[in-house]
Amino acid sequence: MVDKRVKTCGEALVELLQAYGIEVVFGIPGVHTVELYRGLPNTRLRHITPRHEQGAGFMADGYARVTGKPAACFIISGPGMTNIITAMAQAYSDSVPMLVISSVNNSHELSLGQGRLHELPSQRELVAGVSVFSHTVARPDELDQVLARAFAVFDSARPGPVHIELPLDVITAPATFVGAGAIGKRYRPGPSRAAIADAVALLKAAERPFIVLGGGAQNAANEARRLVERLGVRTALTVNAKGVLARGHPLSLGSRLPQKPVLDAIQAADMVLAIGTELGETDTLLFDDQLRINGQVIRVDIEPEQTTRNVLPSMSICADAALTMQALYDALADFNPFDHRAVVAELRRASDGLAPAAYRAHGRFLDLVAETLPDVIIVGDSTQPVYGGNLFYETAGPRRYFNSSTGYGTLGYGLPAALGAKLALADTPVVSLIGDGGLQFTLAELATAVELELAVPILVWNNKGYGEIKRYMVDRDIPTIGVDIYTPDFIAVARGFGCLATTVSTRAEFIEALQDADSASKPTLIDIPEELALDW
Amino acid sequence: MHTEAHLNVGEATIKLLEQYGVDTVFGIPGVHTLEFCRGLNKSSIHHVQARNEQGAGFMADGYARASGKPGVALVISGPGVTNALTAVGQAYADSIPMLLLSADAASYTLGKGLGCLHEVPSLTDTTAPLTAFSAIAMNAEEVPLLLARAFSVFSSERPRPVHIAIPTDVLEMPVETDWEVPELPMRPAPTAKKIERACELLRNARQPMICVGGGACLAGDAITKVAERLGAAVIGSINGKGIVPDTHPLSLSAGTVRREVQQYLQQADVVLAVGTELSEVDSFEETLEIPGKIIRIDIDTRKMNDIYPSEVAIIGGARASCEAIANRLGEVKARAETVTEVARIRREFRTRLDAGQLRHCKVLDVLREALPDETIIMADVCQLVYTGTFAFDVGKPRLWNYPGGYCTLGSGLPDAIGARLARPETPVVTFAGDGGFMFTVQELVTGAELGLALPIILWNNEGLKQIQDDMILREIELVGVTGINPDFIALAQACGCHALRIDSAEGLVEAINTAFNADRPTVIEVRERDPWLN
Repeated sequence: MVDKRVKTCGEALVELLQAYGIEVVFGIPGVHTVELYRGLPNTRLRHITPRHEQGAGFMADGYARVTGKPAACFIISGPGMTNIITAMAQAYSDSVPMLVISSVNNSHELSLGQGRLHELPSQRELVAGVSVFSHTVARPDELDQVLARAFAVFDSARPGPVHIELPLDVITAPATFVGAGAIGKRYRPGPSRAAIADAVALLKAAERPFIVLGGGAQNAANEARRLVERLGVRTALTVNAKGVLARGHPLSLGSRLPQKPVLDAIQAADMVLAIGTELGETDTLLFDDQLRINGQVIRVDIEPEQTTRNVLPSMSICADAALTMQALYDALADFNPFDHRAVVAELRRASDGLAPAAYRAHGRFLDLVAETLPDVIIVGDSTQPVYGGNLFYETAGPRRYFNSSTGYGTLGYGLPAALGAKLALADTPVVSLIGDGGLQFTLAELATAVELELAVPILVWNNKGYGEIKRYMVDRDIPTIGVDIYTPDFIAVARGFGCLATTVSTRAEFIEALQDADSASKPTLIDIPEELALDW
Repeated sequence: MHTEAHLNVGEATIKLLEQYGVDTVFGIPGVHTLEFCRGLNKSSIHHVQARNEQGAGFMADGYARASGKPGVALVISGPGVTNALTAVGQAYADSIPMLLLSADAASYTLGKGLGCLHEVPSLTDTTAPLTAFSAIAMNAEEVPLLLARAFSVFSSERPRPVHIAIPTDVLEMPVETDWEVPELPMRPAPTAKKIERACELLRNARQPMICVGGGACLAGDAITKVAERLGAAVIGSINGKGIVPDTHPLSLSAGTVRREVQQYLQQADVVLAVGTELSEVDSFEETLEIPGKIIRIDIDTRKMNDIYPSEVAIIGGARASCEAIANRLGEVKARAETVTEVARIRREFRTRLDAGQLRHCKVLDVLREALPDETIIMADVCQLVYTGTFAFDVGKPRLWNYPGGYCTLGSGLPDAIGARLARPETPVVTFAGDGGFMFTVQELVTGAELGLALPIILWNNEGLKQIQDDMILREIELVGVTGINPDFIALAQACGCHALRIDSAEGLVEAINTAFNADRPTVIEVRERDPWLN
């Protein structure tokens, strides 16, 4: 029987989301969003309820980082939106696509300041600062247009979070004039012939070139490998570009960008090709040495302004990384390649020799995780082994190692983001690596993990407090305050949530625990004592 | 001698806060706030370490609600601020004085989008919509000026959060002068002419009534006097509950949500509304029907002609204005029938209750009996609390708290921690539903670390019950509202708290008494489905 009732905007919305390929919605239903749920059971969209909207945002982030696709979040007005802002800001900093759909008070109440439920003076303004755009749907027939705009961003621009808010009266309004389907296929901009010719000329004139690849090159691993090999040039990867050149590639410096020998080499280079990277401080600044570039710089970025930030370019190409690298490769068919393999080996050796022993140990710890669980995706928080891993851990491909220590640098990301990644890739091992301080930020998401029966090993790097901040205080001669905190018994906490939980003290125990956790029917918290793990 | 010369901005800011009477700050230290920490070590200010900056913000909110003094949260730039936003939003909605003091990225990086650590395009733009004002100190000498402005807001305006951000390079700048607390303004006094017009309306009223909100917390005696002289019934908002004691014969408690109160309000020919928004969150009605003439007293000029235009609009502090009315009212005959009518309406509060509300009342009655009169209730949003707003009596303002305006989940526990620290001599208890409790469950660890005696009444109705009910009412298939719960007892114990599940009224009373004398918080789980509530 045909349903003659006119659909509401809320019902039309979920159908449109499905048409655009959205698969998962993260949200905590509330009084203001119940009408977004009316149509949901009639779609194939999977709904996940986290325990806090911050968890919803981080889960959507983890989902997007492994798939390259946005997930949706359904968020209530007011507190729901202020709860998710940190996650949106992390996604904004790291250019992660995310579609945040929220309610807002009735359109005839906006801006009046009448003390309505969940009211904000301007929710849209609040969210605009951490979004590519934030839009209030004033009339039902805007709905398909604004969704098209969101997907234009995700598919053709520098990705990031988009916020669309629907007033309560619009959610329930008849969707008579809302278009039913997705717009046609979207493409990304390529480089012009002139730009490629100029870049090729610069590359051909270079004597000491250097390549830096950033997160914008994540979808271009093949193009990157071919171009780097054709040029034969040493290449550094930012943390968000890990795996764009596979572990062991003889021209890859891995992510040793912040280390002095590598920074010195960039400074001495006469030509730097920087693709899809901010060259931002969280990519380059870990120790006291700053990024300085004296040579010519070619910057390639999907966002025009980004080609001018931090380092001014000699020439810039505003285009997709994959298309640009492919075009350069094609135009360099007759290039007489460098052979930087020995240079790379020497730079690696020099850097590794200088690195603090703990960071090397962190790298070895992560290598052990990867040896134990082949193809593993490691989702990290801002925690010490992640800082070491940022430098020394290398992956076989992109989208297998990411964390919140880059960009926004938030705490509490590592658990929910790992859950989002595991939801996307159920058959791939996904590990969460988080410190004891960070885990407490989003602790309640252990309940979500149990509910979803996700076999995620949660590695808690336990240094009983905020180790990184403590180190800074000691360095600055500040008596330590608020960093040696009371730490709960994480094993008992995890069991209280219904997780499996275990403490390990030897390498062999750790390996066994990790394997068990990966094949368990629920999440397992593995408490890792820092002082022992450094020797594994 | 230049004793100040060696202080930097971070240290001098803390020292100045101390002079403003700040004794506690809530936060989580980070790389960007180290120079504040340097100052904290030299000060008498107690630094309380939350487990998420959201908790720190709520603790500051609870501290302010319990003490009447501004609560201070000290957080890192970026995620520290955005984590605290929901607490700031709650303080904004409920007019709570709160200072959010944060670091910001180095001043020479601001606005450039360089991708610095903790960067947002504009930190202060992010907080501006939620604050009385939000400002960055771009050099050392701006800091005392901004703090003076913040504390002037707290002392004289409608209190609302203020955000002051200090870039990391400014935090390290040397301070060459002595920073001092200036003379702070007071709330404005009403004009005699307006008071006279209000008195005239009230004198000639056939059936006057009084609505009181959170802005009238200090005006309880004056309002009670005016009410008694007029024979006017008094209706509290959520934040106005107890300003005239709930047990007073003229009090309709915070009963606006009850149909019988709304109908009674329609009979009033003059309504004196003091420090209240007459908000929908008190009545669950988009607009209340108020045919009577309204006298509004508020310090926020924008409240005068919002949904309910005023016949007489008085800008002034609530206490000064109500005292002036009491003094100028002159000869007036108290309306005699009101006491009888109020008693009848109060009896009706316990009729037409649904099955859930009947269970709430059973628990609330036991709690009222068990808790000392002066107990501060810092509740989370849950169905038990909705019912308690009209079915649980308190005798003073600010004893009954939940964030009805912003309607946040998860504020109850951290707010209670803040209140407990603000008023160590006063019993504090929190009521929280299981769904809301999960939002900030990690703050149990903070409560345990601080060794606070704090009973936490965990009302377990298995999920987001209010939303389940809403979905059922609207014939929407249940989605995402019946999530499984942890073993709350094991979880609370693992977080360092005491915990027990009770299954009788006697058990509840005993658990509360024990919890008030314990060396740490106690989670007392009460299950809605338990037979003793049948």
